[in-house]
Amino acid sequence: MIKIDNLTKIYRTGSIQVEALKGICLEIHRGEFVAVMGPSGSGKSTLMNILGCLDRPTEGRYRLDGEKIEELNDVQLAAIRNKKIGFVFQSFNLLPRMSALKNVELPMMYAGIPSKERVERAKEALQRVGLADRMHHKSNELSGGQRQRVAIARALVNDPAIILADEPTGNLDSKSGKEIMAIFQQLNEEGSTIVLVTHEADIASHAKRIVAFRDGEIVEDRAVENRTMISGL
Amino acid sequence: MNFIESVKVAVNAIWVNKMRSLLTMLGIIIGISSVIAVVALGKGSQSAIGKEFEQFGVNRVYLTTNWRENPTARDYFNYGDLEALRRVFSDKIVALSPSLQDTGKIVAKKELLNINLSGVNEFYNKIEKIEMLEGRYLLEGDIKAKREVAVIDENTAMKVFGRTNVIGENILIQMRYRNLSLVIVGLYKTPKAPFSNVANFEQPATVYIPISTMEKILGIGDRIYGIEMNMEKDVNVKETLNDMVKFIERRHDNIGEGKYRTYTAEGELEMVNKVTGILTTVVGAIAAISLFVGGIGVMNIMLVSVTERTREIGIRKAIGARHKDILMQFLVEAVIISGIGGVIGTVLGIGFSFLISMFIKVPPSVSMGTIMMAWLFSAGVGIFFGIYPANKAAKLDPIEALRYE
Repeated sequence: MIKIDNLTKIYRTGSIQVEALKGICLEIHRGEFVAVMGPSGSGKSTLMNILGCLDRPTEGRYRLDGEKIEELNDVQLAAIRNKKIGFVFQSFNLLPRMSALKNVELPMMYAGIPSKERVERAKEALQRVGLADRMHHKSNELSGGQRQRVAIARALVNDPAIILADEPTGNLDSKSGKEIMAIFQQLNEEGSTIVLVTHEADIASHAKRIVAFRDGEIVEDRAVENRTMISGL
Repeated sequence: MNFIESVKVAVNAIWVNKMRSLLTMLGIIIGISSVIAVVALGKGSQSAIGKEFEQFGVNRVYLTTNWRENPTARDYFNYGDLEALRRVFSDKIVALSPSLQDTGKIVAKKELLNINLSGVNEFYNKIEKIEMLEGRYLLEGDIKAKREVAVIDENTAMKVFGRTNVIGENILIQMRYRNLSLVIVGLYKTPKAPFSNVANFEQPATVYIPISTMEKILGIGDRIYGIEMNMEKDVNVKETLNDMVKFIERRHDNIGEGKYRTYTAEGELEMVNKVTGILTTVVGAIAAISLFVGGIGVMNIMLVSVTERTREIGIRKAIGARHKDILMQFLVEAVIISGIGGVIGTVLGIGFSFLISMFIKVPPSVSMGTIMMAWLFSAGVGIFFGIYPANKAAKLDPIEALRYE
């Protein structure tokens, strides 16, 4: 599903060079649930941006679902983001003053899906995250946990190859956080490939595999032994 | 994202910031409405003036000696010329009359009335529209016998005598320090003052007297200063006039010396139209400056909007919006603001032009073309001033935009 090879990212600000990623190699297969861990500045966010096709590597190769990402232009990258990647952010990033349903419809609008099908699929996605009864609420009328569930519905509505979640529980209380992790586990059970970025070990323990970062390098890559399982929503 | 959805998103964004959008539109509204009002009034006055000329007679021409070329006795028209013209150009001329104009004063009960004295022949009523109310117009006999008779208008009769049954009465006219007494033989309907539709200014009335009588009074021999003509409808006025001038030049042996000048109603109309056209353009251009300022207002607000919605742009890009999707979204928003401003401005502009026309007596002329032009122009302003902010939005780096607080 994902294969990255010798991935390097160097940021240049004036004369200072920062090597955020130092030749990373990583493979993630269909159906995996990977937690990317590491302290801030470890390079995990940079990796996330490159995996999400928001940023380009300085060097190295990136295959996503068979596409040679480093060879694509901006328009093609936008299409990849739209169809193959579902983002879930720490701060939800819903469009305010828009209903939950409209927010979930948005990726399908950019995919050019006709209105009728959009509404159907958005409703279905909201149902999967347990928010069918809130779909006409505006995003600023929802609680943090509910907003994040709308964001997850938006991420999965175009049936992406991977869901990228960047600290998805960071802005939530522990109860809502647990609910969100339960949804991720359920989606993973249903076949979604999930990459989760977090600095919290107990959140990472919900995943099947942990990849730990430090100073732009992978320092650990292991399967989770005592996995925290949450059942039911 | 297709166009209709871009429009929906834009309309929503405009609606969310109602007050701000309205204030932005105000610049466009003022710009478009002033341009529309100016153009409507300009075109209105042109068509009003055009109508005046039509009433005057489009095929009317005036032939005179050119004072600038110092005409001498050799050059002046004479009655021989008149007869020759009448004969040679008989198929092109409706009527022809020598014309001699002077000013004078009629002695009324208490005051002196300024008048124009017009020395003409018996055909002049086929050149100028003279609507007889009582008595008769000048006859051949009046001209031949140099009779001291006059045809006056209704208003003058009322001012001098206080009544209109004045045929056979005498009027006293002061002209060049001479007093002359004329017998009134005819009364004609006072014509509407020229351009009375456009402006109010009273002109002295015209008293028609036989050309021969006028020449006798002024002591002019066989010399004609001006010839007025009315040409047939389908005649090429300019060409015929040139032929006439050449014909007369041959008779006077002054070919190509430019001793004669011609005036055509058409030519005068063209000149007036040129002047009003320039005026309209200049004032319209000044009005267009306000439209330009309005456009800058649109750009300003769109830039604010882009900055405010940086995060939204980041989100949209992260979930798959392309450069052109974002560009379209903001461009459509700018065009809609300008477009709505344009519609409101057009309606207001038409309203203004009618309001102003109540004071200056010019019927405004609003054509579909003007409205379309104003509308396209305002949409153009939207595109022109929207493209920079929209492009700025579209070029935002999604990572930076998502981090924006």
